[in-house]
Amino acid sequence: MNKTFDRYASIVLMAFGTMFAWQSTKISASAYGSVVGPNVFPFGLGLILVALSAGLLYGTFRYKQEEREKTPMHYKKFWIIVFSLTLYCVFLEQIGYVIGTFLFLLVGFQAMQRGNVWKSAIIAAVFSFVIYYLYAVLLNGTLPGWPVWFTHWRFDYGSYSVFAQRLQHRAAVA
Amino acid sequence: MEVIQFLLNGFSIALQWHNILFVLLGVVIGSGIGALPGLGPMSGVALLMPFTAALTGGLNPEDAAASAIILLAGIYYGAMYGGSISSILLNTPGDAAAVMTTLDGYPMAKQGRAGAALTISAIASFSGGIVSLFGLIFLAKPLSDVALRFGPADYFSLMILGLAAVSGLAGKSMTKALIMTVIGLLMATVGIDKVSGVERFTFGLPEIYNGIEFLTVAVGLFALGEVFKTIFETDITGAAISKIASFYPTKQDMKDSAGTMIRGSLIGFFTGVLPGAGATIASFFSYIVAKKLSKHPEKFGKGAVEGVAAPESANNGAAGGAMIPMLTLGIPGSGTTAILMGALIMYNIQPGPLLFEEHPRVAWGLIASMFVGNFALVLLNVPIVRVFAKLIVTPAKYLIPFIIAISVFGVYTVQLSIFDLLLMTGCGVAAYFLAKNDFPLAPLVLAIVLGPMIENNMRRALTISNGDFMIFLNKPVSAVFLIGGALWLLVPAILKRCKKTSAGCESR
Repeated sequence: MNKTFDRYASIVLMAFGTMFAWQSTKISASAYGSVVGPNVFPFGLGLILVALSAGLLYGTFRYKQEEREKTPMHYKKFWIIVFSLTLYCVFLEQIGYVIGTFLFLLVGFQAMQRGNVWKSAIIAAVFSFVIYYLYAVLLNGTLPGWPVWFTHWRFDYGSYSVFAQRLQHRAAVA
Repeated sequence: MEVIQFLLNGFSIALQWHNILFVLLGVVIGSGIGALPGLGPMSGVALLMPFTAALTGGLNPEDAAASAIILLAGIYYGAMYGGSISSILLNTPGDAAAVMTTLDGYPMAKQGRAGAALTISAIASFSGGIVSLFGLIFLAKPLSDVALRFGPADYFSLMILGLAAVSGLAGKSMTKALIMTVIGLLMATVGIDKVSGVERFTFGLPEIYNGIEFLTVAVGLFALGEVFKTIFETDITGAAISKIASFYPTKQDMKDSAGTMIRGSLIGFFTGVLPGAGATIASFFSYIVAKKLSKHPEKFGKGAVEGVAAPESANNGAAGGAMIPMLTLGIPGSGTTAILMGALIMYNIQPGPLLFEEHPRVAWGLIASMFVGNFALVLLNVPIVRVFAKLIVTPAKYLIPFIIAISVFGVYTVQLSIFDLLLMTGCGVAAYFLAKNDFPLAPLVLAIVLGPMIENNMRRALTISNGDFMIFLNKPVSAVFLIGGALWLLVPAILKRCKKTSAGCESR
C-alpha cells in the first residue's frame, strides 16, 4: 500500500463527494408523481463517499508504510505513450485515421523499445491502412478519412449504430 | 418439459449460420486473448464489445443482441480456457483465474507433456462449461420465477447485497472497495434523470447528457488499464516456450483426472453462482480439494494431471455459474459478467427475471450457443493451440501499441466522439494508478451497471411507502437481503480485527 497515494486520493475523493452532495442540493427536489426527487440518491452517495474517504484518510495514519520492492520503473515509457495517445485522440478528426494511427503506432513502438525505425514504420503503416481499408472502405463504416488538404477527403455519416439509442435503453431500465 | 422446448428453440437461434460463426469467432478470439499474458476475460470482453456493435449492425435489434451476447460470452469462456495456454507453456498466467494452472501445468510442460496438459485443460474446461450449463438450464426458470415476485424494495436490497458481496471480496481493503462502489454509483447518476428529466452533474457538457457511456468506461478501465500495467512489466521477453510434442493424454491421465474434473466443475459452478466469489477463488478452492482428496498429494506441484484438471474445470464452471445471477436476477456477480450485462443493456435488453419471458430468443439462444461454443473449444484445441503458442511470444513492444490502437478504433467507431476517446484515456490512466494502489475495479463497473436500477428501485419503493425509508426493513425479503449484505461486509472486518488483536495469529 502506498500511504502518500492513499492520502492524496482520500482528500481528492472527499472533495469529490462534497461536490456531488453540494451540487445535488441544486437539483430540483421533486419529481411529478414521486415523493423522492432526483436529488436524494446522489446526495446520500456524496455523503457516504465523504465518510468513506475520511475513513481511508484516518487509516493512513494507522499503518506503517510498507517497503516497496524497487522494480525498474518505466514511467518515461508510460507517459510518452499516454501523451501521444492523448494527442492521437485530440487530433484524430483533423489528421484522419490513417495518418493518426500510423504516427501513434510509430511513436508507441519506438517508445516501448528503441529499434529499427523502418521496421516499425512498415508495421504501423500496414496496420493503419488495413484497418482503414477493411472498416471504412469495405464495410462502409465511419472513420475520419484523410485531412482536408488531401485531395480525396471523405467522411461519411452513413452508419448509425445501435449504441446511439442509449437514451431509450436507459429508460427501459426502469 | 417446458425447458426442453425452450432449449430447442434456443438451438434454432444458436445454429443459425451467422451465430455459429459468431460463437466460433468468440471462442477463438477469446482463447487468443486469454493466452496473451496480461489480457484476461474482463479486458477481452471490454476490448471487443465495440466490434460486436459493428458486426451485428445489420440485424434487427433482438437478433443483434442475441448475436452480440453469443459472441461476447464466447470470448468470456474462451478466454477462461486461453488463460491456461500461457500458464502451461510459459509459466505466466494469462489472468488471475489461471494462476493455479501454472503449478502443475508448467512442470508437465517441462516434462515434455505440454500437449497432454493443454488437452486435459481443454477437456476440463469443457466439463466445467457443460456442468454449469446444465445448472443454468435447470436453475434459470425457477430462479427468475422467484425473482418475479420481488417488489422494488426487495430488488433494491438484493442489488445492495450483490454490491456488498463483490466489494467485500474484492481487493485488500474494504474501504477502498466501497469507495470504488460509491464512485461507480455516482458516475451512474450523471446525465439526464430518466424519471424527472432533470439534468444532473452534466456541467453543461452535451456529451454527457445521455450519461457517461458504459462502453467507453469499460474499454478504458479494462483494456487500457491492463495495457498500461503491462508497460511496467515488460521484462518477460526471452522466456522459452515449451515444445508441444503430442496432444493426446494417456488413458491413465484421463482416468486420474476424470473424478477431479467433475468435482472441479461442480465446485466452480457453485462458487460462480455466489456473487463476488468468481473464477479465481473457484480454481484455488478446487485445486486444494483435489490435492486433499488425492491418493498421491505429493505429486501435486510436480506435474500432476489432476493439478491441471482441477483449476481449469473450476474456472470454466465458475464462468458459466456467474451467468446465472446475471441472467435471472439481473445482478452480475463479477466484473466480466457486469460488462456482459452492460453490453446487453446497450442493446436495450434488460437482464433480470423478465429476460426469459420477454427475450427468450436472447436468453435461450445464449444458453444453446454455449453448448456449441464449449464443443468448439475442445475440437479446436488441437489445431489452434500451435498458433496461439506463437502468439503468446508476440513482443510487448508491438502488442501494447496495437491494443491501444484497437481500443481507440473500437470506441471511436461506436461513439464517434473525441470526448469519449479522451474519457477512455482518462479512465485508462486512472485505472492503472487505482489498481496499482489496491483500489479494485470490479466493484466500480458493477456499480456503474447496477446504479440506475438501484436508484430507480429505491425511488419506486419510497414512492410506495410515501418517503418512509423503513420500507426496506419492514418487507421481510428486503430485510433479509440487507442484513445479508451487512453481514457480508461486517464479518470479514470483524474477523480481521479479531486476528489482529489476538497474539500468535498469522499476520494476514
